[in-house]
Amino acid sequence: MIDFLTVHGALSPFYAGVLGAAMVTILASTTAFFCGLALGACLMIVRVTCARPFGYLIRLYVSLMRGTPLLIQLLIAFYVIPSLLGLDFSPLQAGILALTCNTAAYISEILRAAYSTVSRGQAAAGRSLGMKPWTIWWHILLPQVFHRSLPPLTNEFTILLKGSSLLSIISVVELSTLARNVNLQSNLPLQVFIATAATYFVILFCASSISRFLERRIAEVLPNAR
Amino acid sequence: MLVDFDIIREALPVLMKGLQMTVLVSVIGIPAGILAGGLFAYMGESRNRPARLLAKFYVELVRNIPFLIVIYLSYFGLPKLGLRLSAFHVALAATAFYTGGYFCEVMRAALHSVPRGQVQASRSLGMSAWTTQFHIVLPQLLSFLIPPTTSLVIMMFKDTAIFSVVTLPELTYQSNLLTSESFAYVEILGTAAVIYWLCSLVLDTAGQVLERRVTRWMRG
Repeated sequence: MIDFLTVHGALSPFYAGVLGAAMVTILASTTAFFCGLALGACLMIVRVTCARPFGYLIRLYVSLMRGTPLLIQLLIAFYVIPSLLGLDFSPLQAGILALTCNTAAYISEILRAAYSTVSRGQAAAGRSLGMKPWTIWWHILLPQVFHRSLPPLTNEFTILLKGSSLLSIISVVELSTLARNVNLQSNLPLQVFIATAATYFVILFCASSISRFLERRIAEVLPNAR
Repeated sequence: MLVDFDIIREALPVLMKGLQMTVLVSVIGIPAGILAGGLFAYMGESRNRPARLLAKFYVELVRNIPFLIVIYLSYFGLPKLGLRLSAFHVALAATAFYTGGYFCEVMRAALHSVPRGQVQASRSLGMSAWTTQFHIVLPQLLSFLIPPTTSLVIMMFKDTAIFSVVTLPELTYQSNLLTSESFAYVEILGTAAVIYWLCSLVLDTAGQVLERRVTRWMRG
């Protein structure tokens, strides 16, 4: 078994680079996830509070992001956006931009579903206590929304991290790129890609464990949260 | 002028040829995956422990491994095991494999939505296990299944774009080919995106219509 996975040192470039590459994968997806969370929350708040035209615009944005492949979005962020804006993006920046915009659309829908389960009386109570709209959102509504959407948000994070493998196509040096390069050098596709799949598996397994721990922790700290 | 419509007019026939391949892979691969996923969902609910574990393992594999790696593994790895598949066959197999894992989850959630008492009641009325499934359980599942299945179908339809990396001549591959000749990224990538978007809208609408129909049919 060990011999199958190391093949007398032919895979040592993979094991030498796997930690760094995994860090790039994790860093890119967590950055995109938290930026997407902030953007998604803003989109959700605007959609449920502001006037019609804004709502239609956001619906169009969400529909576009959910209706086109992430790969096409990455290619557009890498080839089209920099020339349109006259900016110079590194592949990693373009990748994080595309992942953020993509995940924000999904997250805003997840948060909206959670928001619809928060009782109307909560906001009304906040208003009657004289709170400002911003305070109501920040201290009353958003905490409940985030708490309720923790499981689907975890799901979205795993989908996002899996999607980050596509960054290899715009030449970001992350886990899948490393796998492809080592495969080209060693011509041992089975071993290389199984090892890569195992690495992704471990990362995502840890991510869902952390989320389950958070859920339990919140349930302990706020027993009456639901 | 920012967008050159002549380029789009020239590119459109090539992109449409790519769309045909995208649709072909989706039309065969996704239903095959749904069948497999349904089967695994029943395995996951069975009394047989190895079958349950196998179903769980399958779902965890699909949930935790990127589609790209599954494609690389089957396109570059399987020939080493003596199984040489064309890009098209890899595409069908990988789409079915991935759809199956996600649909298994969807189906299991749906199966849990039907109260156990209904199964027990129909069994105690002397219905066979098959009759129970087909006449009692499945009709109740349908309206529960349709919304998540629609989003799964759209997700997998979009994910076929990834097959461009193994040179399957589908929509994204064709648009990459065109951009490498003309460098008209805005026009060609934009057109490809719009084509994907329209297809997703059609699928989304079809799902909604189907859901309304089934709900009405269930009410009698």
